[in-house]
Amino acid sequence: MTQFMLNMAWRETRAAWRHFLYFLVCIAVGVGALVAVSLFGANVEQAVTREARGLLGGDLEIRLSHTIGPQGMAALESLSNRDFSITHVSELVAMAARTEQIPMGGQPTQIVELKAVESGYPLYGALKVEPSRPLPELLTPSISVCSRSGASPVTSPTTLHASRFTSDASCHGAVVQESLLIRMKLAVGDRLKIGQSLFIITGIVRTEPDRTANAFSLGPRVLISQEGLRAALLIQPGSRVRERYLVKIPASMPPEPLMYELRGRLASESARVSGYRDAQPQLKQFLEQLTRYLGLIGLTALFVGGLGVATSIHAFVREKLNTIAILKTAGADSATVIGTYLLQALLLGLAGSLIGLVIGILLQQALPWVVAGFLASDLLDQLGFTADLSGTAIVPLAKGVALGLLSTLLFTLWPLLTIRDIKPAMIFRRDVLPPVSAEGGDTVRNWVTRLTKDRVKGGLLLIIGLGLALLSIWQAGSWRVGLMFLGAFVAAVFLLGTSAWMMVRFLNRWPRPGSLILRQALGNILRPGSQAVSITIAIGIGVMVVVTVSLVERSLLRQVGDNRPTDAPTFFFIDIQPDQREGFASLMRTRRGGQNPALIPLVRSRLSALNGKTITLEATSEEEARKEQAVEKDQRRKNWYLSREYVLTFFDALPKDNEVVEGQWWKPGQVFAKPLVSIEAEAAKSLGLTVGDTIEVDVQGVLITTEVSSIRKVDWGNFSTNFYMILSPGSLDGAPMTYVATVHVPSSEEIALQEAVVESFPNVTAINVGDVLDGFARMLDRLSLAIRAVALFCVLSGALVMAAALAATRYRRLYESVILKAMGATRSVIACSFAAEYAFLGTIGGLLGSGLASALSWAVLATVFDLSWSLQPPVLAVGCLATIALTMLVGFLSTYRILGQPPLSVLRHE
Amino acid sequence: MIKLTDVSMMLAAAGRSVRILEGISLSIPAKQTVAVIGPSGSGKSTLLGLMAGLDRPTTGSIMLDGTDITTLSESSMARFRREKVGYVFQSFHLIPTLTAIENVAVPLELSGERRAGARAAELLEAVGLSDRTGHYPVQLSGGEQQRVAVARAFACRPPILLADEPTGNLDSTTGTHVIDLLLALHRDYGTTLVLVTHDAALASLMQRVVSMRDGHLESDSMPDLTDRSIAGELRP
Repeated sequence: MTQFMLNMAWRETRAAWRHFLYFLVCIAVGVGALVAVSLFGANVEQAVTREARGLLGGDLEIRLSHTIGPQGMAALESLSNRDFSITHVSELVAMAARTEQIPMGGQPTQIVELKAVESGYPLYGALKVEPSRPLPELLTPSISVCSRSGASPVTSPTTLHASRFTSDASCHGAVVQESLLIRMKLAVGDRLKIGQSLFIITGIVRTEPDRTANAFSLGPRVLISQEGLRAALLIQPGSRVRERYLVKIPASMPPEPLMYELRGRLASESARVSGYRDAQPQLKQFLEQLTRYLGLIGLTALFVGGLGVATSIHAFVREKLNTIAILKTAGADSATVIGTYLLQALLLGLAGSLIGLVIGILLQQALPWVVAGFLASDLLDQLGFTADLSGTAIVPLAKGVALGLLSTLLFTLWPLLTIRDIKPAMIFRRDVLPPVSAEGGDTVRNWVTRLTKDRVKGGLLLIIGLGLALLSIWQAGSWRVGLMFLGAFVAAVFLLGTSAWMMVRFLNRWPRPGSLILRQALGNILRPGSQAVSITIAIGIGVMVVVTVSLVERSLLRQVGDNRPTDAPTFFFIDIQPDQREGFASLMRTRRGGQNPALIPLVRSRLSALNGKTITLEATSEEEARKEQAVEKDQRRKNWYLSREYVLTFFDALPKDNEVVEGQWWKPGQVFAKPLVSIEAEAAKSLGLTVGDTIEVDVQGVLITTEVSSIRKVDWGNFSTNFYMILSPGSLDGAPMTYVATVHVPSSEEIALQEAVVESFPNVTAINVGDVLDGFARMLDRLSLAIRAVALFCVLSGALVMAAALAATRYRRLYESVILKAMGATRSVIACSFAAEYAFLGTIGGLLGSGLASALSWAVLATVFDLSWSLQPPVLAVGCLATIALTMLVGFLSTYRILGQPPLSVLRHE
Repeated sequence: MIKLTDVSMMLAAAGRSVRILEGISLSIPAKQTVAVIGPSGSGKSTLLGLMAGLDRPTTGSIMLDGTDITTLSESSMARFRREKVGYVFQSFHLIPTLTAIENVAVPLELSGERRAGARAAELLEAVGLSDRTGHYPVQLSGGEQQRVAVARAFACRPPILLADEPTGNLDSTTGTHVIDLLLALHRDYGTTLVLVTHDAALASLMQRVVSMRDGHLESDSMPDLTDRSIAGELRP
């Protein structure tokens, strides 16, 4: 029996392999998309694990948001006595200025991400610089280098403040990112003023092992020495800085005991101590999520392709009615026949999956190019990422084949089941078979009653549903996401199916159009057994995915761009010292016609205790670490609020766009017995705080206990400075304080203002809101490009399903076009009627797909981004028009050969 | 009216070329009725299809009403066919998704006739099917379908009507009815009628009988002796 099935399956495939071309390609495209994404994910994960020490910068990292205190310093010094290597890295944003006027233009001042290192840096990983010389040599060049680069630093001060460091005889070097040179029109050997010091550009940094992989950066990297940073006098009380101490321990020693020890000893410094194993948790999470969602889009492509497989099998069974009837007459039962064709389908599914592997392997060579674009640091270079195949590739490849085979199985079972209904008498009379109904035709109620009556069909439907659910859960790697995905997919199929079906019903009742071309086109769509509904579903899902990505991207961009109020600040000036406050304000007044800038005091702090309960975030023992592994999502959210740095301020009056929802804002002239705090609503909810609770904050070692007096709602998108915690006036007296100024100027004056501030206040950093938003928009653009690249596979699958469906009706079309020709129809009449039909299919698919995309983007915006949704006619119109163009193209490619057939040869065979 | 000169037709089948027609020369004057007879595979249907311009001969020329249709482009041929030629198939070949009246209206609409619907209704009435206008082909009997096909073929009142075994799929009574219809068109409008048939009785109703074998003309009951090439061939 099995031998028969195998033989028969082989014979059928041999005879009709052309017929299964679309079947193969549908599976191959879906598997290809999936394999490309998961290979990329596996390679990235492997690289991150391999480079974990490099990414962190050491076996252990101690991180502070302020200069380390004497107690902490003592602890660190005791480490160097114990044979550990330690290196100190400081990171901050600062302003770099050109020292000479350059006639060609270029920016005179530029915000940079400054990184000051010591001689031991980097402990792990490779720093790539040009020229490739030891870093200390570049950062502390010999005096001769300084004098070679023009005049000595002492004699060429072109700015007023340059004279200040005439006393400093040493010479500092800076290794910078090439983009800085381009923006400021500088070259290696030129000089740069940062803070109060001059730096000679001695090289270009290409990759840096431990640059935090952020979605976007504020400016190009500038590497200097710790001595250089001290000479620049940038770090002042309250300045925004990240101090990192990287520790290398002997390879034989596990890092955890030392990590727990340091966490205990440095608790008073509010330092964070992490080990290399959990380096870059955000990066890991980001890449994990990215590959997960790209993988789900790939699965969508595979499932849409599954619809194409089902269509092919459906058409195949109809074509094989005679063969099947003959087999049954010869004594084969339904199970044998179904088994034969199922075996055939699985063989084809295997072949398709293997082709898919090749597509996936080729494709993943290209994916890093796309992904690289939206990470500001050259993350993939940093990781030493390669797209080569290695041992780890086996898992994604095997998974790809398995998913391809299982999808084939699930999508062919249903159409193969109709074989049961074929009676041997079919050979003599075609009409013995009840008309095989396509998705249209009968009502939902009939369908349900039929299912409940027919146990086999009902059971099969259950198995298919369960199988698809398992595939989704497997690919998503989570029950919840997998089921949500399948739910959304089924809902989309259902909505598209019913809408298309209703549209067909509606058009069927409409009087026929008078024009022959239109009537013929519409007739092809409305005829019984037409594939219009399945084509609409397949095309619609692809369109939905792509348009949703565009809609969400647009909404995000609109949120940061168009929604910007006209008086939104141009600049945030940060790190203004208390003694610079007056000078800064007067500079702004002269520059801006007497207008005072808004100067807001800031104090950096961390949470130390809530309601008297001390917060311990990082496990200080192994046992605690195990507990931490098991925390739920809510707890992780709470941890984010517990561990983050809070920028505190104090206000007399409630700031605009803030609304007190609980408690009361302080009254004018109120006397405070103890410091009060107004906390933001989301933070209060996550921390479990309510009015009357106490919060203890740690301001660089000094603890301040405050009582929650009100809870506020904040509109975070209002382009001004917003705060989680606002303290009552006077609470922060004596704390290390800096000021932030928000300033609005016309765009023509931006550069001049920035230059003036850098000249007078070199330690003040100017953050240009427009540049930050542009950077965000660029990042978003690249991210959506990556998503869209994978989403295009859904469209491709949809197009293939349409091609498969058209191929299934090829003979009928050929026949009709030939009769019309015999009647005197020209080729153009037939082509026009085909075009009208495809355009109509495209219109339905495009309208429904875009409509669903609107709904889906609304859901995404509301749940994920918490943003309002609005109708975006241009995106939807482009989506619809592109769909019409697509269906016409696919239709043309599938049927143009019909047009050239001479009638006689076709009719002769009839 | 119809003049074939040295027409040959080769077809590629299974890698080999098969000669379907060889050196056929035939001249049919206007208003004549002709039966083409011969065994299966003798090439008579192909010959008829070539006369309608449904395919091109490998060599030779076919003149229809003074136009060499072998030189026409596909589109010009289609337009020419609309005006000059009506074609009736053995297996009717109605368009399954169109009703009877819509099927008849197709050629009228193709030639831009404004009253296509009304004219199609008249034609259906003429073939005795005025009560079947809204039916789909599957709802009609074979004889009814063929009458619709005749109405469709004659819709634009072409001077030439070609019929390929028009009664082949019909019982004799129904077949006779269809033949009467075709002969009435010849009588009333002077239509040139060429039909392919197996049926000797039916052939005898035509003014002239041409018989074929293995792609050649075998005999002609009324050879046009003014055509020298044919005359030469037929003389012993």
